[in-house]
Order: sequence, then C-alpha cells, then structure tokens
Amino acid sequence: MKMPAGLDIERLYDEHAQPLFAFLLNFTRDEADTRDLLQEIFVKLAREPKLLSGVRDERAFLIRLAHNAAIDLIRRRAARDRTKENFAAETVSPFAPARDPDEIYFRDELAAALAELPAEQRAVLHLKLWEELTFGEIAAALDIPPNTAASRYRYGIDKLRDRLRPLHEETRKAE
Amino acid sequence: MNEEMEPFERRLSRQPLRQIPAGWRAEILAVAVRESRVENREQANLRPSTLASRLSTILWPHPKAWAGLAAVWVLIFCVDFSMRDKSPVVAEKAAPPSPEVVAELMQQQRMLAELIGARDTSDADRSKLWTPQPRSERVEILMA
Repeated sequence: MKMPAGLDIERLYDEHAQPLFAFLLNFTRDEADTRDLLQEIFVKLAREPKLLSGVRDERAFLIRLAHNAAIDLIRRRAARDRTKENFAAETVSPFAPARDPDEIYFRDELAAALAELPAEQRAVLHLKLWEELTFGEIAAALDIPPNTAASRYRYGIDKLRDRLRPLHEETRKAE
Repeated sequence: MNEEMEPFERRLSRQPLRQIPAGWRAEILAVAVRESRVENREQANLRPSTLASRLSTILWPHPKAWAGLAAVWVLIFCVDFSMRDKSPVVAEKAAPPSPEVVAELMQQQRMLAELIGARDTSDADRSKLWTPQPRSERVEILMA
C-alpha cells in the first residue's frame, strides 16, 4: 500500500501505531475515540507527507501530534458535555488484561488513579513509565521545558504512590 | 533532575499496556491512502484551472446576469471601434477646397450680396466686405 507521494505509511504504522494507541487510550479511555484520533493522525500524515520531512525523531513528532489531537478531543468533549470532562468515570483500562487476581486489582486501581490525574501529568507519566523517554525527550515531544516535564512527573507519581501505597507494600511483603 | 526509578516506579513501568486491535491496521491505512489520493486529485484539479475556479466562484450566484453584462460590454466596444474607423474617412474627405471652388463660392456670395440690396454700396466697399480680414478690421468696417 504505497502512498502516491512516496511516504511509507505502512512502515510508520507498524513502528508507531502501538505506542500512539497506548498513549491515546490513556488520555481518552475510550476505544472509539482512540481509533478516531489514530486515524486522524495517519490521514494527516498521508495527506501531508511533507510534515515528516526534516523530522529527526519520528516518534517524538508523532507523540506531539497525538498529544495535540487528544487535547483537542478533551476540549471538544468538555464543550459537548461538561459532565464527561473527567475521565475517571470512564472504564476502559489502558492495561492488558491479567490472570492473577492481585494483578487485576492492581491494574484496575492504577488505571483509576491515572484517570484522576490532570491530563498534562498523565501524559508525562505515560511517556516516562511506558515509553521510557527522558525528561528532555518528553519536553521535546510535548513542547514544554524539561523542568516542567520533571515537576509534572513528580507531582503525578507522588499522587499515584499515595493512592497505591497500600497495594504496593502488600505485594512487596508477599514477594 | 534525577531520572533513576524507584521500585514503585519500576513496578508501574512493568505493567503491560493493551495491544492495538489487529483489525485497525487495514482500516486506518485504507482510509489514509484513500484520503491521500483524494488530496492529490484535488491538487491536480486545482493547478490548471485556478483562474477558472476563481472566476466561477465569483460568477456563481448569477452567471446569466454576468454573461449578459459581458455581452453588453462587447457590444459597446464593437460600436466604439466601428465609429473610430469611419472618422478618418470623414477627415480625408474634408480636404481643403480647390481654387476653382473658392472662386465659384466668392462669385456666388457677390451675387447674393447684390441681390439682397447692397445697391448703395460702392464696389470698393463691397470688396472690403467680402474679403477675409482679421476680426479687428471687420469691427472698424461695421462701425463706419
């Protein structure tokens, strides 16, 4: 499926769709919205192949596109229905299903705790914990200063720790 | 900016994320390719007929009225050009009269003056009356 302008859209999808999906799902907590945003990103790339010309880090660029698209979606949702602004009420987890009951519980609690974080903290936490980006890379991807990325991460991880401490310590003792 | 992870953070980072549904790949790529082709086609269509499309945008509300106005302007130009073509011919025809014609006219004027009743006027005065002179001199003759 070659693009007319020579853009290898299949390669882009295969290399970046999974992390973009996880990042977007952590924002939207809705599979249909995530699919729409992902499609929006790839359609944009297909229509404007020049977007990627001169881009050094494709992943960072695509994360920025995804982040902007997700923020736009949040604003649209807020305008559409104020009651759905907080994604804590959404039930779709960004984590893979587990078999172990303790792990299921931990992942559910983690998903709920993440959903309670402000979107900007959640974005930084996601990129740091699951994309393993440095604060410099996160800063470049989200177009924020590195210190802001670090402070958002600290605020976010502290909230998660407070919320999940009992579960975490219980699991550690069991280990 | 300490980027070292504590055990709690490491535990979080080990939690596996959900996998993207496999069916999305074909669907999303198909839409992307289709949109890209539509975009390319639109751009290709726009390039040669930019002027035409702009004109049609301007003229779209009342195309017949604009066409009628254009026809009126064309008619005006045609009439104008045809009038210009005739004017040099008129100028050419209005060439200076020949000496014979002038002499004939003078003769007719003299006869007319005699018939009107310039019986008391002497021949010298008559010749003065009909000889072309500057306006100032004509005034003197009238005063006299």
